[in-house]
Order: sequence, then structure tokens, then C-alpha cells
Amino acid sequence: MGRSRFHALVPAAVLTMLAGAASAQQRAEVIHWWTSGGESAAVRVFAEQFTKAGGTWVDTAIAGGANARTAAINRTVGGDPPTAMQFNTGKQFDDLVENNLLADVDSVAAAQNWKAILPEAIISAVSRNGKFYAVPVNIHGQNWVWYNKSVLEKVGAAEPKSWDEAIVVLEKIKAAGLIPLAFSGQKNWERDLFNTVMLDKAGPVVWNGIYTQRSEAAARSAEFRAAVETFAKLRNYVDAGSPGRNWNDATALVIQGRAGMQVMGDWAKGEFAAANKMAGKDFGCTLFGSKGGGYVIGGDVFAFPKQKDASRTGAQMLLAKTMLEPETQILFAQKKGSIPVRTDLDTSALDICAQKAAGLMKDKSQQVASVQMLAPPAMNGAMEDVISQFWNGPSTTTDQFIEKVVGVLKQRY
Amino acid sequence: MPGFPRRLTSRAAAGLALLPALTILLVAHLGSTSWTIWISLTSSRMLPNSNFVGLRQYETLLNNDRWLVSAQNLAVFGTLMVVGSLLVGLLLAIAIDQRLRVENTLRSIFLYPFSMSFVVTGLAWQWMLNPTHGIQKLVRGWGFETFQFDWIVRQETVIYTLVFAGIWHAAGLVMAIMLAGLRGIDEEIWKASRVDGIPAWRTYVSIVIPMLGASFATAGILLSASVVRLYDLAVAMTNGGPGLASEVPAKFVMDHLFERGNLGLAAAAATSMLVTVVSIAAPLLYARSRARTAETRR
Amino acid sequence: MNVIEPTGPRPKRTSPARVGLYAFLAISALFFLAPLYVMVVTSLKTMDEIRGGYILSLPSELTFAAWTKAWSSACTGLNCNGIRVGFFNSVRILVPSVIVSIAVGSLTGYALSFWRVRGADLIFGALMVVAFIPYQIFIYPLVRIFSMAGINQTLFGIVIIHTIFGLPTMTLLFRNYFASLPPELFKAARVDGAGFLQIFRSIMLPMAIPMIVVAVILQVTGIWNDFILGLVFAGRENLPMTVQLNNIVNSTQGERAYNVDMAATMLTALVPLVVYFGSGRWFVRGIAAGAVKG
Repeated sequence: MGRSRFHALVPAAVLTMLAGAASAQQRAEVIHWWTSGGESAAVRVFAEQFTKAGGTWVDTAIAGGANARTAAINRTVGGDPPTAMQFNTGKQFDDLVENNLLADVDSVAAAQNWKAILPEAIISAVSRNGKFYAVPVNIHGQNWVWYNKSVLEKVGAAEPKSWDEAIVVLEKIKAAGLIPLAFSGQKNWERDLFNTVMLDKAGPVVWNGIYTQRSEAAARSAEFRAAVETFAKLRNYVDAGSPGRNWNDATALVIQGRAGMQVMGDWAKGEFAAANKMAGKDFGCTLFGSKGGGYVIGGDVFAFPKQKDASRTGAQMLLAKTMLEPETQILFAQKKGSIPVRTDLDTSALDICAQKAAGLMKDKSQQVASVQMLAPPAMNGAMEDVISQFWNGPSTTTDQFIEKVVGVLKQRY
Repeated sequence: MPGFPRRLTSRAAAGLALLPALTILLVAHLGSTSWTIWISLTSSRMLPNSNFVGLRQYETLLNNDRWLVSAQNLAVFGTLMVVGSLLVGLLLAIAIDQRLRVENTLRSIFLYPFSMSFVVTGLAWQWMLNPTHGIQKLVRGWGFETFQFDWIVRQETVIYTLVFAGIWHAAGLVMAIMLAGLRGIDEEIWKASRVDGIPAWRTYVSIVIPMLGASFATAGILLSASVVRLYDLAVAMTNGGPGLASEVPAKFVMDHLFERGNLGLAAAAATSMLVTVVSIAAPLLYARSRARTAETRR
Repeated sequence: MNVIEPTGPRPKRTSPARVGLYAFLAISALFFLAPLYVMVVTSLKTMDEIRGGYILSLPSELTFAAWTKAWSSACTGLNCNGIRVGFFNSVRILVPSVIVSIAVGSLTGYALSFWRVRGADLIFGALMVVAFIPYQIFIYPLVRIFSMAGINQTLFGIVIIHTIFGLPTMTLLFRNYFASLPPELFKAARVDGAGFLQIFRSIMLPMAIPMIVVAVILQVTGIWNDFILGLVFAGRENLPMTVQLNNIVNSTQGERAYNVDMAATMLTALVPLVVYFGSGRWFVRGIAAGAVKG
């Protein structure tokens, strides 16, 4: 309203001054799906740090990743994009880049020297055609095994080192009349459980064979078959109430000592923390990687849709920069239960599970990229369907399942 | 003829009054539908593109287990839910029509579920049906240790729990429609059957219920539309699980449209749904409209 | 109106059939009330009690903390103002959407019933088919159309959206109602020289009041409970209450307070619930007045 006339009347020098003053209140509307207690506390870190840096954070939280992305993408396509929008680290924003809807953040990446401080897998997950299109903000390990220490003590078991050992422990817990494996039977957790078993039994080569090369040979390998058979055995260790359960209700079973173990990403720590349980004292965390390389890394990123109003680009760059500052990174990771995405930070302030993870981040051979980073959402969804069908339908044979996996790999996405 | 010009303008006004509806139909409905059909012939992923691939998406769709299971589930759910709701709704309406003092209260009790969205009530249903903390746990707590009610966690039975909740949601509306139909029936019929000494149930079965044709049709249309669109209920109660056992077509479309970034396949699925609906509904609607026109002309 | 008088057979007092009838009604009422009961008692319990106890048991000590929290301090992201924020947004969306959709629907139904407009049957048939299409497939193209028209992310936009999706049912209701009226009524008005709008305003609308009540009830429920359309089309400033409810209930990661979830749910459902409990009588009367004829 009247802005253009205003511009015409005011000399350029004054405008420059005004622009300087305006940048002191750079407004950034951020769409994200971090709505729970622990997550909100983590977002608050970003908001406060951004405010300190001279920005104004406008919060648009929408629960459920799919809901938030639907709203953000529809607004971007509809010509009214938010300043920044959240994605999982990976391929969810490929189409936005291809359609030229995202601004690159190369200037910030160069200034902060991302290429030196970020893990390689993360760099390739946020760059397309040599340009950075998103800010990675954290790393979540997806294949943690959590266990209740007193339950394991009670049944006389030590921390298992692999799924073969874990099954022995699960058997003992079952004999003691408790729920061996606390499980939340929803498609994505069924997939994560399968992946956790698959990485341990078949190793990173088969992992990448399946998710990166989509190779039929990988799916037909003896290692993959062994993984499928172990996965099928786990059906004996979950309780009747597991289908449809929320993951945090499963964590609660471990916290209360009604169940022995749970496989879940490190966001589960938030649940333990809320119940005043200490890592290393009340509960333990471990990762299985018998074939070398046992840490599945994923996380969250923020992307910046191109703006019609060029002045908003400044806010985007300020936000990108702020999110990766060392102080922000540590504070955020503490609240979120994740670890910093930067490998050059002092992580002694984090809990022992996070420190274990940060140690693994220094050795590339220990990590595998999450399926979200390797495969498009359409393929991950198709895998979910196949895995879920197998997990819930004991009449499906291993051979049938492998055929279906091959079918998924052969499809075009 | 003095009335003529005015008649003409009124006709024009009637046409004009249809303009909003026509615009909505052409732009919103027809436009979106043709766009969807076009997209189903492309390789579109998260965003639409115009890379024509012929019927590839349909081929993928027909080889997709989840789609086939979804279609089957919908057929089972739809049949049981429509028949069940009509039956329960009719019984409730007849029961409530027996000159009860508490009619108003009961009517509200049966009708309230229709006012709440499944996003809201799905969780409550999920809890009650869950074997580890719902009805099963409760009954076992009473001492019946072997009591089993775990339909919601079993692939073979989960669809019936959706039918259960679906009937709970819609039976009240059917009751209202049936009740309205019952109240429209001539009191003379009851008097006559009483005079002839025909028992009430026989009067219902052979005279009254056959007269409720319009009520059945209205309720049937509303129920069928909600069956085809079935989405919220499945998401809130089971999210399609266990496995694929409670997946439904609208959820297939929705998941592929957004979460899975597969517009082309979603559009192919939506188009298939549309074609099915049109091929079932169009002849029925046509027959109905013919019958009605014949009636008005008479 | 004697239409709503019960018409069933005149009862004989306390016969076995009568007992059976009451037993059937009582069991049905319990079945219908069970979910509501679970929601209410859960919202009045503490989280510890919910984790350990039976879902059907009464709370050991009554606490309304969850209700206050849900209404005024539950957090969605950084905003900890509960779901009351969305309440007024929902009202602002609801009122114009209900009015406009019913206005368009009744006018269309009227034009389709009395006026032999060419293609009327085709329009009506098309609307009926449209009623069966899952609305998810309209979302994306409508976003494009609306942004071209410059009404994406506005209150006006969401009102139009609800009008679009309400049109089939509203038209069906009113057309069937008007079609059930005696055509003499219309013919007489025409002979008196009344025009299109005049007949609508002074004869048809007043007669259609029972139908309007039904339409209002249906639209209030549908629009109030809508989540995805509001989320996509209403714009950041107008997000309806259901979006906040979803934020509280469907957080994917992190602890879930089921008592607050249930309280938030009940609070969100309050408006349609009141409408139903308050107007059940009118609902049946309205349907009796026309929806089941023809």
C-alpha cells in the first residue's frame, strides 16, 4: 500500500539507511512439525537465537510431517511461500529444486565452510547439482536399541551386541513373563525395525545395494535372506497390543519395566528424560552393526522457497546462518535428543548416548545414510507396504517377501 | 400478451441463478477432474509435470498389492456398513417411534456421533478395541481370564471394527431419516391393521417398510457417498493396519498425493475411483431421474 | 405440525414386548454413549492413572486441569495459548461459509426444480456424481486456480471452498424439497405475475425453513470438523480450531498427554454437539418436511 510512491519520493541514501534498520527486524515465517513438548523446546532455541541475531521468528507449527509439508508445498506452489520449511534430510524436496522453487544457500555455506564441517552423507543430502539447497540442522540416529537396565539385570542378561545375541536376551525376558520387545506397529516403525535388523545381518553393502542401487542381486543375497528370517522371528517377542500403538507408548513400556527393549530413533530419549530416567543408569542404548557400519543417520533440514519480495531473502540467509552457529547447534541438540550436524564441536555437554553417536560420526565407515536420504518417498512408501504386509501376515513366506521387494526395486518412481 | 416479457426475464433470471453452480461445476469440479485425468497419464512425482507416459501409472496401480487390497476392503466395508447402518437406523427409528416419553433424549444420543469427526472419536474407539487396555482387559479384569476381543489387531477381522465404528457414526442419521419417513405414514394404515388384528411386526414388514422407499434411497445415497470417501475413520482408528488390512482407496490417493510424492499414481487411483463411481451411479441416477420426470409429467 | 407425532402402534402398558423394546433401546444407548464416556472420563484423569488403569473406570480424583490446559495453555509449536486461538478463526470461517453455501445451494435447488431450464437434469446429475468424488483430488488443482485468482490463503477463499464442496448436498436437499411442494403454488404465483426472485423470496424460502434448519445443521458440522481444507486454503491467520486440535493430538514425536488430547477433542466438538443436542427435534422435522419425499 503506497510503498512504490514512498520509494519514489525518498532519496536513495535514506533508503539504504532504512534498509539497514529494517534488516534489524528481519521477519521469518517458519513452517515445521515440531509440536510436542521436547520438540517445542528445541524450536524455541532456534527462535531465540534468531531473535538475538536480529530477526523476528514467526512460528507456524503443524503436527504431522505430511500435514506440514502439504501446507508448505501448497503455499509455495500457490505463490505465497513461507520463509523456511522443514523437511527430513533426504529427497523430499527434489521436485521443488527441479521446479526452480527453492533458493540456494551457497553464500552461507561458503561463509561457514560447510564442506569442511559437515559429514559427507549430509552434504550430498542437501546439495543438488553442486549447490546447497537446504540447511541441515541435526542428525538423528534411527536404529538405536534402548533397553531397561533393571529388566536385563533381573533376567541375568548383559547388553547384547547383535541381533543374534538380542534374540537370546528377548527369549529370557519372555520367560520372565514380561514383554520382550516393546513395539509400535505402525508402517514406518515396522520398516525401521526391519532396516535395523537388515543393517546388522546384511551390512552396509546390501543396505546400499537395496536403497541406492536398487539391485535385485542384493535382495536375492544370502545376507538379505538371513535378515528377513531374523526379522520374522521377532514377531514372537512383541505383545498383542502392538499393532497401531504409538511409539512413545512403546517407550513407556520400557520405562515402566513392563518391557525389555525397544528399537527407535534417538528422539526416544525425550521420553526417558520426561520420566526422569538417566542414560547409562536407568536405561542403556546400543547399536548393532555386526558387518561393520551400524549407525543409520537421518535428520531434519530447512529449505528456503524463492521469494517474490527480495528483502525476504536476507531473512532466509540470516536464519540459515543462525541455525548452524555452534552455540545454536549444541543447545538445539540437547533439547531435541539429536546430535549436532557439525563435526567440529565439543560434545561433552551431551548425554552418553549422544556422545557415543558423535564418536561414530567421526568415522565415515561406521555410518550409513537413512532410507530417506537414499530413496525417493514413493519407493520408501512402497517398501513400507511390503514390509508391513510381511510383518503382519505370518503366512507370507520369506521367498514371497523377497519377490515383493524385488518388485518394489524394479518399479519406476 | 402483457406477461410475456416478464416471463422471459424470469426465465433468464433462473438461468442466471444457476450461474454460480455452473461455474463451480465447470471450473472447480470439471476442471479439477480433467486435470487429474491428465496427470494420471504423466510421470508426475511430488509436483505435476507434463511428461506423457501413457497408461504406465495404471499398470503400476493394477500390480500394486495395496491398491487391490484397498479396493477389496472398501467393497467389504461398504456393503456391511451401508446395510448395517440402514438396519440399525431403521430398528432405532421404529423403536423410538413407539410413543416413548424419553424420545428426545434418545434421539440426541443416537444422533450425536454424526456431529463429531472421526479425527476426534477414532482414538476413543481405538482404545476401547485395543486388547491390552480396552474391553478385553476390562472383561478379563472381571474374572473371565480367557475372554478374547482382539479384532482390531488381527488382519482378518480389523475391517469389521471399522464397520462397527462406521455404523456407530452414521446410524443416527439414518434413524432421523427413517423416523421422518415413519412420521409421514398415514395413521389410517395403523388403524386399519389394528382393526384387522394384524400384529404390529407384520404391519411393519409387509406394509410400512415397503412405503419407506424414499427414505431408504436418501439414506443410501448419503451413506454410499461417505463410504467412497472413507478416509478419516481408517486413519484415526488403525491407520490402515495391521499390515494393509484396513487400507482404503481414498487413503491410497491421499498418501501418494502428499507423503509419498507420487502425484501420477495418486491421480491414476483417483481416476479409477471416479470411473467406478460414475459407472455405478450414473445409470442409477438416470433411472431415478427418468422415473421422477415421468411422475411429475403424470 | 402433527407430522412429528409418533405414528407407531398404540402401546399396551408393560407387555413383554414393551420390556424388550426398552432393553433394546437401553443397550443401544449404552453402545452409542460408550466412546463419549471414555473420552469424558479420560479427560478427567491424571496421566498416571491413565497409564495404569482401566479406560472405563471412573477417575479416582476429579481434575479439570486437562481441560484448562487444553483450552488456554496447551502448546502448538511456540504458541502456548491452547485451542482457544483457533476457536474464533473457526467461527469466522463458519458463519460466512454456512450462509453462502446455503444461499447458493437453495437458489440452485429452486432454479432446478420449478424452472424448466435447459440442461437442468444434466446439471443435477453432474452434481450428484460429484458428491461421490473424494475431495482430496481437488486440492492441488484448486490451489492453482485460487492462486491465479488471487484468493488463495484468504478467508474469502476458504468460504468459496466450503461452498464448492457443500454444493452437491445442499442442492440435493433443496431441490428435493421444492420438488415435493405442490406445483399449483408456483403456478398461482406466476399467474399473479411474480418473477423468479420474488417467488423465491416471498414464497419458497419461508416455506423451506425446516429444510434450512437441516442444511444449517449439516453444514455447521461439516465445516466445523473440516481440517485439511482449512489447513490448505484458509491461510496462516485463519487456521481453524481443528488444526490446533491436530497439533495437540497428533504430534508425531514426543510425549502425548491423553487427558489433554481428550479434553481438547471435547472442546473442539462442543459447537456441533450443542447444535445437535439443541436441535435434534428440528432435524427430524426438517427431514420429514421434504428430504425423504420424491
